[in-house]
Amino acid sequence: MKTIETGRLSDLAQALSAAGYRVVAPMEEGGVVRFREWAPGLAIAPGVVPANSLKDFLFPRSEVVARFALEPGGFSPAPVERSAVKTAVLCARPCDAAALAALDAVFNWDYRDGAYNARREAATVVSLACSKADEHCFCTSVGGAPDGVAGADAILRPADGGRLLVLDALTEKGRALDQAAAGALAEGPAALDAPAALPRRFDPEAVGRWLAANFESPFWKEAALACLGCGACAYACPVCHCFDLQDETDRAECRRLRNWDSCGFGLFTLHASGHNPRPDQSARWRQRVMHKFSIYPQKFKTLACTGCGRCSRLCQAGMAIAATCERIEALGR
Amino acid sequence: MMKTETSTAPAPAAFEPRITAFVCNWCTYAGADLAGTSRLQYASNMRIIKLPCTGRIDPLFVLKAFENGADAVLVSGCHPGDCHYTSGNYHARRRWTLFRKLLALTGIGDDRLFFSWVSAAEGQKFADLVNDVTAKVRKAGPFRAAHPGRRAS
Amino acid sequence: MKALREAAEKLLREKRVSLVIGYEGRKGRPAFFAAKPEDCGRLAYDASCRQNLAAYLGKPEIRARLPVALVAPPAVLRSIVVMSAESQVAPGQVLALAVDGDSYLGTFDAAGAAELLRAKYSTLAPEPALLERVQGLLQKSPAERAAFWEAEFSKCTRCYACRAACPGCYCSRCIVEKNAPQWISTAALGHGNYTWNVMRAFHQSGRCTLCGACEAACPQGLPLMLLNAALDREALEEFGSRPGYDPEAKPLIGSWSADDDHSYMR
Repeated sequence: MKTIETGRLSDLAQALSAAGYRVVAPMEEGGVVRFREWAPGLAIAPGVVPANSLKDFLFPRSEVVARFALEPGGFSPAPVERSAVKTAVLCARPCDAAALAALDAVFNWDYRDGAYNARREAATVVSLACSKADEHCFCTSVGGAPDGVAGADAILRPADGGRLLVLDALTEKGRALDQAAAGALAEGPAALDAPAALPRRFDPEAVGRWLAANFESPFWKEAALACLGCGACAYACPVCHCFDLQDETDRAECRRLRNWDSCGFGLFTLHASGHNPRPDQSARWRQRVMHKFSIYPQKFKTLACTGCGRCSRLCQAGMAIAATCERIEALGR
Repeated sequence: MMKTETSTAPAPAAFEPRITAFVCNWCTYAGADLAGTSRLQYASNMRIIKLPCTGRIDPLFVLKAFENGADAVLVSGCHPGDCHYTSGNYHARRRWTLFRKLLALTGIGDDRLFFSWVSAAEGQKFADLVNDVTAKVRKAGPFRAAHPGRRAS
Repeated sequence: MKALREAAEKLLREKRVSLVIGYEGRKGRPAFFAAKPEDCGRLAYDASCRQNLAAYLGKPEIRARLPVALVAPPAVLRSIVVMSAESQVAPGQVLALAVDGDSYLGTFDAAGAAELLRAKYSTLAPEPALLERVQGLLQKSPAERAAFWEAEFSKCTRCYACRAACPGCYCSRCIVEKNAPQWISTAALGHGNYTWNVMRAFHQSGRCTLCGACEAACPQGLPLMLLNAALDREALEEFGSRPGYDPEAKPLIGSWSADDDHSYMR
């Protein structure tokens, strides 16, 4: 077995960096753990679900998608950089890796998103299997597992009571990373730790069936009372991918930006006429839940939720999608 | 903006500040006009934006100026008691006291943000003010591109 | 919290309010909406409750159900008084179930809440540790301060959780939502983050009750209270401003005095 001490993850990062990878890993700053670009000397913090997801590196918060140089009498298109840096993501959670399948589907649906695909291709994702879960995690309810391998190119599994991590390459990219990391890995036996025990909380198929049949249910009005319509959940979610296109102009050029957007915002579906088909928060919350558990799966055969729990961990108002699904399943019975 | 001076010996390029001035129509703008008609010489680094009254100036305008490349901002209006709209400058004054604190905390201090009262009769004061502010900003140097409020080029 | 639950129950039974907004007594203390007296058994309050429930007074679905009662620690009492002073709630439309730590202090309307605040909470101020951090920042050079905020604002994703959490942010159309012209860049990478965070703080001058809900709501842990505390002290020192103690108070930036300081003006 190929192993590395959990306390020496930086050595793995160093080896990969030396082999030409940009390394992204969870790191703590100001009390918040976040996936960020690693640099020598920075400690990797593998123990919690980071506040952000891998989305930041594949589908950035803001990105120039078109550029026009302004000239007297007109404008001309200017090139937009499409480069993607060879990246190794260390210690992604299995729920983060699983989300990539959902993103791959939508970014290659009616339009193949070149920028996303370039970054996706250049990224090698190394998951870290979870030995613990918190009360917000629910991967097992949505077809995932604390040691799930979906979306990962390689996986690190805790062993010997958490002291060691065992690396298993799963794909071509994973094997390439394994080779690049050879110097940081040791060879030897290790007893794999059990993954976190996470009982299923609800059946997403049952939830999907209720959703498809209960659009007008009064359930939504009461369920969404606490929601204040910010974008914290959508932005933290590893699967949410809605965006807004905005043009910004200065004297030299016009840039078309693709910025993250959230269906929770009141403006999201506001028409220029003033009409809003989702006029209140209950309509917007309904849309959020339906998109993830009914509409998206119908289209792409995958749920738009991997149970990472970021949304409920971060929501100050206590809006918890898993709790909503549990209530829906109960209603359906 | 960089300007190279021609001389017999090679000289380093001198920094010429770009300063945005938000001024009121009735007092400071008229004062600037008077400076002009009096043929007073003053630095040409200041771009003047005329508003009806300092009370119209949203602090956001100041941030937009910095965002777009100003090295400094001047806000100038009627003396207290002389506002053409009676109390517009009083409203403005209160805003500026608070706003400059916020800007100071976030890295834009007294060397970049200037406030004054210049009346329609104070052409000389305006000229002196522009020269003084320009000299101070030239000394302070270009507004850092690394400031979070500055548009990345 | 028995007294709190009983008081809430009574308000609903007597139909003095149609909804009680409080915190639910389970982990995380999520916002809880009790429409029936028997639901009040689920109410709880302690220091871990960080949401400012007065933020719901800006939500149309809640406004449609006025009068309501809110569980309100002192900072939230101040928010209710500020909203009253700004004519966002009419007298009698909001009742505060005042709490502090383990104690239930009574049910008050905005005027009563202001009296309670003046009597027992007249010295509310930012925590000394927070003010020290503000001072520490002010002692650094402008370049160091800029670098500090550059690092912090680069984390902002423009989720507007800070805005949603703040009772003072009740504009039906926020400045960031104005696009003719686009005053504040909506991109979450770049100068728009600075402009947004600074303007949002500025729009709270003389109105912020230091509840901390914005900082608590921020998923990225931005130190928003540094901005709020600095402005709060400036408003107090320069103008004697103490928002939330007088339901008839004039808004700070909406008013002026001939004696306002202008020593920094040439």
